[in-house]
Amino acid sequence: MSLGRPLLRTSYSEDTAIFPTWFQKGAASFLLLSLVLMALGAPVFGDIPKFLLGNTWLNPVSKTLTFAVAALGINILVGVTGQVSLGHAFFMGSGAYTAVVLGGASDDGWRACIPFHDNLGLLEQQGECGLGLPMWIWLPASGAVAAMIGILVSPAAVKVRGLYLAIVTVGLVFIGLHLGRMLPEYAGDFESGRKWPKMDIRLWKEETPLVALNEDGQWFGLIYLSEEQKKFFFLLAVVMLMMWFAKNLVRTRTGRALQAIRDRDVAAEVMGVPEFHYKRLGFAISSFYAGIGGALFASLNGRVSPVDFGLLLSVDFIAILLIGGAGTIAGTILGTLFVELLPRMVEKLTAWMTSKLEGEGTISAIANFLLTSGQEGDFGPISISTTSPGWPMSVFLWNLVIYGVLIVVFLIFEPLGLFGIWLRVRNYWKGWPFSY
Amino acid sequence: MKLKRMFALLMAFGLIAAACGGDGDDVDAGTATTAAAPDEEDAMTDEEMEAMEDEDAMTDEEMEAMEDEDAMEDEGEGAMEEAAEVLTDFGVTETTIRIGLNADLSGPFASLVSEIVEAQVVYWEAVNDAGGIAGRQVETVILDSGYATDKGIENYLELAQESEEGVVMISENTGSPITAAIAEDAAEDNMLVIPLSWASLWPDPANANILEKQTTYCAESMNGVSWLKSKVEADGKEAKLAIISRPGEYGADGAAGAVIAAELLDIEVVYSGIGEVAGDDRTAVIAQLVASGATMVWTTLTPGELADVFGNAVAQGFEADWSGNGPSFSYPALLSSDLAPLFDQYYWQSGYAVPWNGNDSEGMKTLVAAMVERRPDAVLSDSYITGWIEGIMVETILLQAAENGDMTRAGVVAASQQVSIDFQGISPNQSYNGTFDEIVVRESYIFDVDATTFDLQPVSAGTGSSGLTLIEGPFVADITADYQFGGPCI
Amino acid sequence: MIIFVQTLSKAIALGSIYAILALSFVLIFKGTQVLNFAAGAISMAGAMFMSILVADAGIPFLPWGNPLAPDAGDTASIPMWLVHLVIALMLAALLGLVLERIAIRPMIGQPLFTMAVITLGLEIAIRPFNLDAVAITGRSVGIPWGTETWSVGGAIFPKSYLAAMVAAALAFVFVFWFYRSRFGIAMRAVAFDQEAAMAQGINVGRVFAMAWALGAALAALAAIFFAMAPWPPAGNVSLEIHPFWVFRVLPVVVLGGLDSVVGALVGGLIIAFFEIFAGQYLAQWTSILGPGYSTIVPYLVMLVVLLIKPFGLFGTEEIRRV
Repeated sequence: MSLGRPLLRTSYSEDTAIFPTWFQKGAASFLLLSLVLMALGAPVFGDIPKFLLGNTWLNPVSKTLTFAVAALGINILVGVTGQVSLGHAFFMGSGAYTAVVLGGASDDGWRACIPFHDNLGLLEQQGECGLGLPMWIWLPASGAVAAMIGILVSPAAVKVRGLYLAIVTVGLVFIGLHLGRMLPEYAGDFESGRKWPKMDIRLWKEETPLVALNEDGQWFGLIYLSEEQKKFFFLLAVVMLMMWFAKNLVRTRTGRALQAIRDRDVAAEVMGVPEFHYKRLGFAISSFYAGIGGALFASLNGRVSPVDFGLLLSVDFIAILLIGGAGTIAGTILGTLFVELLPRMVEKLTAWMTSKLEGEGTISAIANFLLTSGQEGDFGPISISTTSPGWPMSVFLWNLVIYGVLIVVFLIFEPLGLFGIWLRVRNYWKGWPFSY
Repeated sequence: MKLKRMFALLMAFGLIAAACGGDGDDVDAGTATTAAAPDEEDAMTDEEMEAMEDEDAMTDEEMEAMEDEDAMEDEGEGAMEEAAEVLTDFGVTETTIRIGLNADLSGPFASLVSEIVEAQVVYWEAVNDAGGIAGRQVETVILDSGYATDKGIENYLELAQESEEGVVMISENTGSPITAAIAEDAAEDNMLVIPLSWASLWPDPANANILEKQTTYCAESMNGVSWLKSKVEADGKEAKLAIISRPGEYGADGAAGAVIAAELLDIEVVYSGIGEVAGDDRTAVIAQLVASGATMVWTTLTPGELADVFGNAVAQGFEADWSGNGPSFSYPALLSSDLAPLFDQYYWQSGYAVPWNGNDSEGMKTLVAAMVERRPDAVLSDSYITGWIEGIMVETILLQAAENGDMTRAGVVAASQQVSIDFQGISPNQSYNGTFDEIVVRESYIFDVDATTFDLQPVSAGTGSSGLTLIEGPFVADITADYQFGGPCI
Repeated sequence: MIIFVQTLSKAIALGSIYAILALSFVLIFKGTQVLNFAAGAISMAGAMFMSILVADAGIPFLPWGNPLAPDAGDTASIPMWLVHLVIALMLAALLGLVLERIAIRPMIGQPLFTMAVITLGLEIAIRPFNLDAVAITGRSVGIPWGTETWSVGGAIFPKSYLAAMVAAALAFVFVFWFYRSRFGIAMRAVAFDQEAAMAQGINVGRVFAMAWALGAALAALAAIFFAMAPWPPAGNVSLEIHPFWVFRVLPVVVLGGLDSVVGALVGGLIIAFFEIFAGQYLAQWTSILGPGYSTIVPYLVMLVVLLIKPFGLFGTEEIRRV
């Protein structure tokens, strides 16, 4: 086997391999290894993560990993099956609320879990529902419940198509919000939410967890890790598992059937791929991912409210998918990193510019041109001395503007997304030295 | 375990006593702290007492855990007697004090919060020019949460990092949701947090490191409803109350206070729309409100929701006296709108502090002078007062901590329990030692909305007004004064 | 009876505003196959232009004053206000042209959702400017009739309701007239078949620009008429014209059919009718239906209709071929 001539396949098994070339194998293991080392504090890429995301860069990255799980789901539904859904936030929410119902703490036991119990007069006062079960129950269950809801929704995808389907699924998000308002026994306060079970591994309801993820300390008696590092490694493992599952799904019979549906559903049906069955399957798997992702996200945050599962979250996922490159696993992960971490990077960048204001050189000159400290004769669109509204606009609002512009610019120059960049680089080297 | 706690308690008192040794005034404060305990016994049940003790023990324990060795050594060497020798951990160095702001500067409350932050920044500029706190310059670390909980948590973790880059306390944390989300971590990290939220969840002695300023929505509603009742009855109408609120803590807390007031004052509640103002369409609330025949309305809404409900109800010929919790009304948005004359006619604003240039107190003069000097072009705003108040709180606490000789995070939390904060006449004074009932501030302010005087000018112009005229304040209704707050109203 | 008539007038007024915004969606979608998520930001920017012209007596982006503006403290007379309205709409159209040229034109032919995410990026980028501009003080759009109402036999009708209805009527008459003009026929031809239209010598680029200009102007029109009391912004450009009020209009667009002008009008009226009447007449069951139930009524109506007619009431049915 050569070091990897892309698209040159000599056997069927090579065609369906997870990493068809040695180069990809090497690159994947290198990235994974450096990520692990970086999280352990080794200066693999120097101070780059700290520079881009601040000293506590592990926290945003951990949150992004939970989003990555959900993003893998939207990739299966939109990228692979071709059914555009803006209801992903709703499925994430259903997973998260399953988690809190099964794993959350409650004073009133199962009685509080009966819907509208305060209207029915079952309890003295409004209590929050929670059964206090361990994570190995609530985490898979959150995926399963979301998948079941996905199956219930899927008939709509057979009847309604394309853009119409996308907008129908918007309705799901609003119905979810409405349920959040109606059922405080599950959702807690509408704005402040309620506490989520923590990611600790327990056998049953025992006091000390088997593996504590929420305290600094020795892990398996081997290595001393902080709370953030433990959570990060756990989430990384979950993401790896989910990626592996997604990749395997795409390269097998089911995946090919889903892709056939995406490319032309009528044609697929003519060829003997039952349309409804596979659309249902697409919704179920995608919602399963969303449910797991939602449960992890809520658990990592510790406290989440129904408003957090609003439409903006769904829209975020469409952006993630398109920026990463629809239909590809690696692209989805890259897209999640890009969309979720970019706002923070922009913030750090403007803060860094501010720190360079005093000094010499090109960067200082640019900083001086763009930033204004509000003194006489200092012009520039970005105000750093004042947060008050009005022109020049505060740097915090500019951060949003830059984020929006970057999304537009990125898609204009690379409509295929981050994965498209990779393809271009690969094709350049594929033909090298005759790259034209 | 028990023994350890006792030891910790003793240690803490010893520390305080030793720290206060130098100055006469502080001995008073120190003894007041210790003397408060016996007084509480009659007012509290045993259970509450126990809960409190537990809490004390816990924070002290954590304190002990952090300072254990240092503190003991220091005490042994008699370092406490020298004010210059200050114990520090994160965020405080020889020359600087870093304080954090986790503020919504790009989200739904950006316009309000950006002005609050602005005033606080001005406060620190003034403090730094006057030599800083305990010889240290105050540095603010401003992070934007956009009112998203996950972003707020990440910001908190960034501010709370246990290194040079961390901060010693958080002087502004926008909103109940984010405060609720970080409350547990903050207790663990001994981080003092001043939330921008008036929910009655925070004056709790169990949350010693969350320092709520000013009155709670609940107490404010009780004051407001009482005042509204006297107003309506003075006009010769029968008091029939309608309560409308939005879902969430803010709405629930404000409405809870109104319900308590209605019960205590025997007011008939003709429409109870608690938590019903939700979503973008409020036709259902308006329909029920208009049909209810209420003569007084208490609202716990956002300004946009108020404009919709109020405007439509009035447009359908509904006449009543309206009032509501402070955040329901926003003078820049509503008094510049076409509804201004109607608000002037029917609405009475309730608030937590004196408006911009609203009295001749010392605090107001300092604030106005500082803003005129440092931000002459900024448009006058009542929000500056909130930021200024946060500044006063932080400065008082940090000065106390410096005097105690302990500017660690835990030391700052401990100092916050000792001080009595003097807002120099712009807001009711406050201290954070005692039971829930003792901590709660009961004073609120009632304003007449005066659309004709509404005129937003730059602060340096010296004229202009936010259109609110103080009628009564600080105002405490009889029912609020007598009411025993055993805990949050919700 | 009085309540019924009042409710009906409110429903028709809201339906008119929905219809105008839906029309903006439909024109842009028909013309360029883009679902415009930036409509919220554009519409708010349009209302800002109106405010700058009529209340600040200025001209957007330019340092000069506006000679036509009423004196400070006065409101414009209705004809003058309409003149300003037209100017503001033209400025909004200009904004639409610029956005189309910068962000949409290079991307023509890209998949639908790539385009949608681009408009989303535009939305994110424009929103902070709006936020910053309205933050200090509310910006009035100087409505001559303010909160005035008519009283007919005990029923009270705000003048803004009639204004919204008239605006919608004029907008639709204009669009129907436009579609019969030479340029409108070109636009329909492009919507029908781009390549064939090009082969006939139609300047497709210009058609795209026109669609965005018209769409932006209509979005601004909807925002300005939604800014009137007793709608929540109450005469101001405020964040109540929230960028994401676009999502209130999505059910309307889908109900009528994404590419149907008539559908926008009918859809707007139907959705508003159900929303307002459910709010008014089911109010006493709020405790069962949940607070704010009327917000999801449009989505439920849309769902029911789509399950019967998958391409909306008037949308072009896609013929599925292998």
